Amino acid sequence: MATVAPLSAPSLAVDAATLPRTRPWYTDVWIRMLRKPLGVLGGVIVVTMLLGAIFAGVLTPYGFSQTSLRERFIAASAEHWLGTDQLGRDLLTRVLYGARISLYVGFGAIALASLLATAVGILSAYWGGRVDLFLQRMVDAWMAFPPLLILMSIMSLLGPSVLNITLVLGIAAGIRESRIVRSVALSIKENTYIEGTRALGSGHARITLVHILPNVMPTIIVTATTGLSTVILTEASLSFLGLGVPPPYPTWGGMLSLSGLDHMYRAPWLAIWPAVALSLAVFGFNMLGDALRDLLDPRLKGR
Amino acid sequence: MKRYILRRLGLVVPTLVLVSVIVFGMMRLMPGDVVTRMVEGQAYAPTIEALRKELGLDRPAYQQYLEWIGGIVLRGDFGTSYWTRQPILDEFVQRFPVTLELAALTILVSVVLGVLVGVVSAVRQDSLSDYLGRVFAILALSVPYFGLAVLVVVLPSIYFKWTPVWTYVPFSVDPLENLKILLVPATVFGVTRAGPIMRITRSALLDVLRQDYIRTAWSKGLPERVIVLRHALKNALIPVVSLIGLQIPLYIGGSVIIEAIFRLPGVGLFFFEALTRLDYPVVQSVNLIFAAMVVGLNLAIDLTYAFLDPRIRY
Repeated sequence: MATVAPLSAPSLAVDAATLPRTRPWYTDVWIRMLRKPLGVLGGVIVVTMLLGAIFAGVLTPYGFSQTSLRERFIAASAEHWLGTDQLGRDLLTRVLYGARISLYVGFGAIALASLLATAVGILSAYWGGRVDLFLQRMVDAWMAFPPLLILMSIMSLLGPSVLNITLVLGIAAGIRESRIVRSVALSIKENTYIEGTRALGSGHARITLVHILPNVMPTIIVTATTGLSTVILTEASLSFLGLGVPPPYPTWGGMLSLSGLDHMYRAPWLAIWPAVALSLAVFGFNMLGDALRDLLDPRLKGR
Repeated sequence: MKRYILRRLGLVVPTLVLVSVIVFGMMRLMPGDVVTRMVEGQAYAPTIEALRKELGLDRPAYQQYLEWIGGIVLRGDFGTSYWTRQPILDEFVQRFPVTLELAALTILVSVVLGVLVGVVSAVRQDSLSDYLGRVFAILALSVPYFGLAVLVVVLPSIYFKWTPVWTYVPFSVDPLENLKILLVPATVFGVTRAGPIMRITRSALLDVLRQDYIRTAWSKGLPERVIVLRHALKNALIPVVSLIGLQIPLYIGGSVIIEAIFRLPGVGLFFFEALTRLDYPVVQSVNLIFAAMVVGLNLAIDLTYAFLDPRIRY
């Protein structure tokens, strides 16, 4: 029989300096975020855009649909920093209010998309079997359509409006993103702790909401951030074709619009500034999303 | 292998059926009566009832669906355009080469540019050229292609008195003139699509360059050019090819906007004009044809992979 060696009393005095400092996770994310200059740049652009959108009414003295026929096609001046358009509306005002519409549609659509993707993705993965097979064939069929074509068709049938485009883009993005959520939920479902909690008597609702959902959250946050730039760009493409946000609401896509092409030969700034604003916004959200993915994706941790 | 092919083929049928149901249902379930707008907007028929009857909307939905699908499957009849009163398939087939040529040139531009910058970036990792290449990729990702297209149409005509050619010449009539017309739209679209290709080339090549067989090639004393271009790039291009396959729907969608801006008489312009003229039978059929093409293309890609890499199993 093996004799147990008498244990020496463990030393309780731990040298505090040798312990790794523990920080809350968000501080950790914040510190690592600062090491991503492009991500920070993206964040700065996004915050600037947010501020511009919120304070558009304070920042300019003009209304976004305030016309002045005596001041048509004015180039950049002290009164109109970016010039005016064919109806004498101030371009800077419209670019600022355009940010408001872009963000409104973008955030609205992405919120809807995330909800839908989470519900469909987790349900499909958790239930498996026929439910999964049916839902996934629906997603397959939807993804076969070239996105712009089917969205143009739907918007043409529904008629352009801010609410319609938000709903349509949200549902479309939600169906697409549900694939990603499903694949993550599938791998989480196979973990032994899920089996454990089931053995302890947890019901379906508890398993999906308390155990699977929190583990899918990082994926949802990352998909939502990168999805924002896609949604903003798609809204702009549809508005460009006259199928998105209807006039007189200013949107960057609508300001570039196909039907306004003739005016741009007279006043090229009408094409330049909305394009610059749109590119900056997409750039900002892309960079922020990339950085967030590096920080939140557990598979990339430590790289 | 045989089982995989059968299973993969078996998945195509329900997908195609669902695709057709979505297209069919979309036109009928949307709020806002399509027929009323077709009559009031374009006067396609004297009365709403007449057009409803002509479109077969007075019969039960399942009967309409079966008739529509039956016509397509049995007779290749995709319906008639209300604007031109011509069979939709004829117009599609006639215009498709333009869209195909535009897509092929666009892919060519984006692959040449993306792979070139990607290779330089990977081989000279963390150098100035790598940094510039990555900035280029991010910019290409951020600039919307329709914005760039508008600027390319408008700015040179103001500052250099240069405008793109608006009258289209088919390839069969004058190949050189035809290429000259398509080059500008294909370059504009291709440049903005080169970003993702550059990024994936760079990361795939970096992965491959760290593998053992590349080290062996180095120790054999092969020159860098041979190692990178002949040994590494071949394997690094596999994800590039699958990325292009995945992005085909984006190229089709983009062709609508590019063709509308540059007035190219392809399927994209056909679709866009049909939408503005409320010519919904065309909208319905073009959506269906493109979706079926995408399904077929995905099938072909998957089967090619299974053929090339016997490890792939469903």
